[in-house]
Amino acid sequence: MADHSRRRFLQLAGFAGSAWLSGCAGIVSSGNSKTHVVVVGGGFAGATAAKTLRQLDAGINVTLIEPKASYITCPGSNWLFAGLANLENLTVDYRALSNDYGINLLADSVAQVDAERRRVIMVAGDVIAYDRLVMAPGIDFRWDTLPGYSEATAQFIPHAWQAGPQTLLLQKQLQAMNDGGVVLITVPAEPYRCPPGPYERASMIAWWLKQYKPKSKIIILDAKTGFSKQKLFEAGWAKYFGYGTANSLIEWQSIADNPLVGLDAKTGILTTDFGDKFQGQVLNIIPPQQAGRIAREAGLADASGWCPVEPQSGRSKFHDTIHVIGDAANYAPIPKSAFAANSEAKACALAVAALLNECRLPEAHWLNTCYSLITPQHGISVAGVYKLGVERKIEMVKGAGGVSRLGDEQAAVLEAGYARSAYRTLVQDSFG
Amino acid sequence: MIRTIVAAMGMIVVGSCHAEIDAQAIALNCRNCHAAESSEIPALQNLSSEQIGRTLFDYKYDKTPATLMPRIAKGYSDNELKAVADYLGRR
Repeated sequence: MADHSRRRFLQLAGFAGSAWLSGCAGIVSSGNSKTHVVVVGGGFAGATAAKTLRQLDAGINVTLIEPKASYITCPGSNWLFAGLANLENLTVDYRALSNDYGINLLADSVAQVDAERRRVIMVAGDVIAYDRLVMAPGIDFRWDTLPGYSEATAQFIPHAWQAGPQTLLLQKQLQAMNDGGVVLITVPAEPYRCPPGPYERASMIAWWLKQYKPKSKIIILDAKTGFSKQKLFEAGWAKYFGYGTANSLIEWQSIADNPLVGLDAKTGILTTDFGDKFQGQVLNIIPPQQAGRIAREAGLADASGWCPVEPQSGRSKFHDTIHVIGDAANYAPIPKSAFAANSEAKACALAVAALLNECRLPEAHWLNTCYSLITPQHGISVAGVYKLGVERKIEMVKGAGGVSRLGDEQAAVLEAGYARSAYRTLVQDSFG
Repeated sequence: MIRTIVAAMGMIVVGSCHAEIDAQAIALNCRNCHAAESSEIPALQNLSSEQIGRTLFDYKYDKTPATLMPRIAKGYSDNELKAVADYLGRR
């Protein structure tokens, strides 16, 4: 183990070490540097940032603050509903980050960020000083948006929009539901984590219902007027689930002009502004979201609830020595995804290393690729290539990216396989 | 053990030119899918710069069918693709 990880560290350090400081004036010796970067949050963004920083400059000490000893990935968690995965398959830990990259792990939560004095104060009382801070706290939910739905209600009406016990709860409820029951899935307005996620979830549930409870129905109540990969999803739903017919396993309805105004948790009835009522035996409420609490408490979020950043470096618009990456940050038009979080983390790490070495920042490049399964053998994808464009704002490169070709059955089979492979490689790249 | 490795890596050598930085910034994203451990997605480890470059250009100009890479390759200029291929082929 020691030999293998040592070889890998050297190999990976070599990947970056010989090339990256091209913008620097001369040789930089950072072997004895006490530069310290603190990363808050051990999801895809935080893990990737910590690891990439160490690969770029081994003279930068990195502390990763994450209270959990292991992390269950949201990507792939929808596959649970089709019986394709279990929570163990989706679980990663931080041993590789610690053992192979020399990242200091701090298993605690941040109580307070003292931006002026560049320190974080931990719940346990420790004070950790930093030269630069990278915040990657993920999402929090807006519990005040649907009367009748609160954080307490979520304990028995799951959102399952953070993987783990919530995912299992939803799965259990689906298994307990009678054949002929109705599953309600509510989707919030953008921006939210993982735009195609609710539709992959509906697909996976439908595939399972088709086998075990075929008289049942999933109704998606969507605050949006359209959704990611819509033509592809709808074509797949028509092919496999009778979409568009009276017996369809899935129905999709936009309630953009007729929003939800209340939930009666006892009866499972959702009511809309115009008084329409939808009753379900299983309810999956995906609430509107915002940046993780610690980012908001640190004054990094604006009125939208998300953290605005200067894109090239990920620097907070409110504090120059703090960077925000991943779902908590506003990198629009890049969607909120784990792949994008990893990409943002790498661009940020390049910038942080350049700033600490007083070098010119490299030009930023971002990539996003999202795979979804409609059935275990039918995959689809959406991709985007992003650069800084007019006025140094992020722009999607036109003529590139886009979705899978509609009606290409061969591609669908291939992409179902790639979806699984890409998941594993993304996880390995971020946490391994 | 880690301290020895870190100390050894302390000396960071000057690179070559502006394109070098862009290539790395782009190439870091490739690793999300093209890792040594993947079974279905090709690893890039044993490919030369010429092989990678030729394939990227084939994808960009639709000379080779593929499910995803043509959409990605079109996001970069010819110079960027060449720089990325040079960068990846050297490792």
